Amino acid sequence: MTLSARGTQTRSLSSQTFAAAAEAHLDDVYGYLVYLTKNPLLAEDLAAETFEKALRLWRRFDPSRASARTWLCQIARTTALDWFRSEDRRRRREERAAAPEAADAAFAEGLSAELEAALASLSAAEREVIALRVLLELDGEEAARVLGISPTAVSTRLSRALKKLEERMGHVAV
Amino acid sequence: MSPSEALLKELRAAKPAAGEGLRERVREIAAQEPAREPFLRRFGLRRFVLVAAPVTAVVAIATAGVIGLSQEGTPVPGRGEGSAPQAARESAPAQDSAGGGADAMEAAPPSGGAALPPTQGRLQRYDAQLTLRVDDVEELSAATQRAMRIARSLGGVVASVSYDSGTSEIGSAQLTLRVPIARVQQAVVQLSGLGTILGQRYGIEDLQPAADDLARQIEETQVRVAELQTQLRQTNLTDTERAVLRSRLAEARRQLADLRSALEGTRAEARLATIQLSLTTEAILESPPAEKGALDRVVDILRWEGLALLYALVVAGPFLVVGLAVWLALRARRRREEARLLAQP
Repeated sequence: MTLSARGTQTRSLSSQTFAAAAEAHLDDVYGYLVYLTKNPLLAEDLAAETFEKALRLWRRFDPSRASARTWLCQIARTTALDWFRSEDRRRRREERAAAPEAADAAFAEGLSAELEAALASLSAAEREVIALRVLLELDGEEAARVLGISPTAVSTRLSRALKKLEERMGHVAV
Repeated sequence: MSPSEALLKELRAAKPAAGEGLRERVREIAAQEPAREPFLRRFGLRRFVLVAAPVTAVVAIATAGVIGLSQEGTPVPGRGEGSAPQAARESAPAQDSAGGGADAMEAAPPSGGAALPPTQGRLQRYDAQLTLRVDDVEELSAATQRAMRIARSLGGVVASVSYDSGTSEIGSAQLTLRVPIARVQQAVVQLSGLGTILGQRYGIEDLQPAADDLARQIEETQVRVAELQTQLRQTNLTDTERAVLRSRLAEARRQLADLRSALEGTRAEARLATIQLSLTTEAILESPPAEKGALDRVVDILRWEGLALLYALVVAGPFLVVGLAVWLALRARRRREEARLLAQP
């Protein structure tokens, strides 16, 4: 079984090994982190860190409460937020607040330049809801669990994010 | 195809994929997967609470059931409190041997009518207190008269009677009856039939040592009187000596008379027992203390367990509320911070 050959759902895999879960959901976790951070290299580091944390927490994973993919995305989000916090503190220390490093956003091969630019202009919160609902195709309940908000809030946030994305693409196109 | 659908399609088609380097890193991480930990080590706080809460409830109920069902029947506390028999039991000293030298007081069970028997062949002061309830004032009057007749029929006397029926519904009577001590049990049995027994109390004081002492003193005094009389019959006494002896003889005779009187009084005391009979129409005790059923005891124990839990909650409640408030505040702050961080492009 290769890493790219992932299962679709793991709700019933109570005896699933961590290695199998990692193989099944690495792309999902990585894709989510790319959208959240706009930085593929950083996303790789955070993904690795996510799986290290997940390995430590694996014994507490309860398949009856959430799928392995949802659980891993929760850990990935926490890991990313920790990184955002530390970056925020670092920028403040260095008095470079409000000047995020202007790394070139690169989400994935195959995206048009307009869409890349429009995605990059969205906030991290907007990009993460698009990643969860569109890329990972989580349902509203699962996305809500990852984000720690209600399914209604997820739906609202997704709708606004997509609308903004369309507007910005139109703006870029013009 | 709407712009949105085209947009979603493009996003899905260009989903980021992990590179080979990352795959290798994750594969190495996953290779460190430890063996599944023992069941108890995997038992997180949430699962522990989910299991511990019902288990605790079951144990509490089972404990109450086992204790409640295994206990002997106990009187229901609160029922009959302050009643005559209850008060009598509480105030009665431990019963001494009826043949001993000390007072013996005993509160008999209200359901019975049998009195403590006096000891044959010994002088004893016998006191009995009997409290009865009758249905109404008419019954009170009849019972009072019957009590006096009982005392007289047994060779006793009515020392005093106090009858009070202020209203047509409530009344009481107090009688002091003296009956021959040999028939006191018979008297108590008959008097007990006049109403519902609310309380009984018996006191026996052994008078035999005192009577024996008086008898001894009487004998000594008699001897002394005889000696003084012998001395007075002598002819060689001076007038002064004779006067002194006469004075001593008179004193000894007075003492002898007093001692005989005291002995007679003691014997008279021992001949008649005193029965204090109280009749009342008031329902001091509606029913004898009931035995608690097993279910009552289980409920009682569960009630105490509930009270203990309530007490623990009252004590720990403020701390829990403060802890919850702190947790909510920290969570709200964390969410605000997250929202701020994620609001950045």
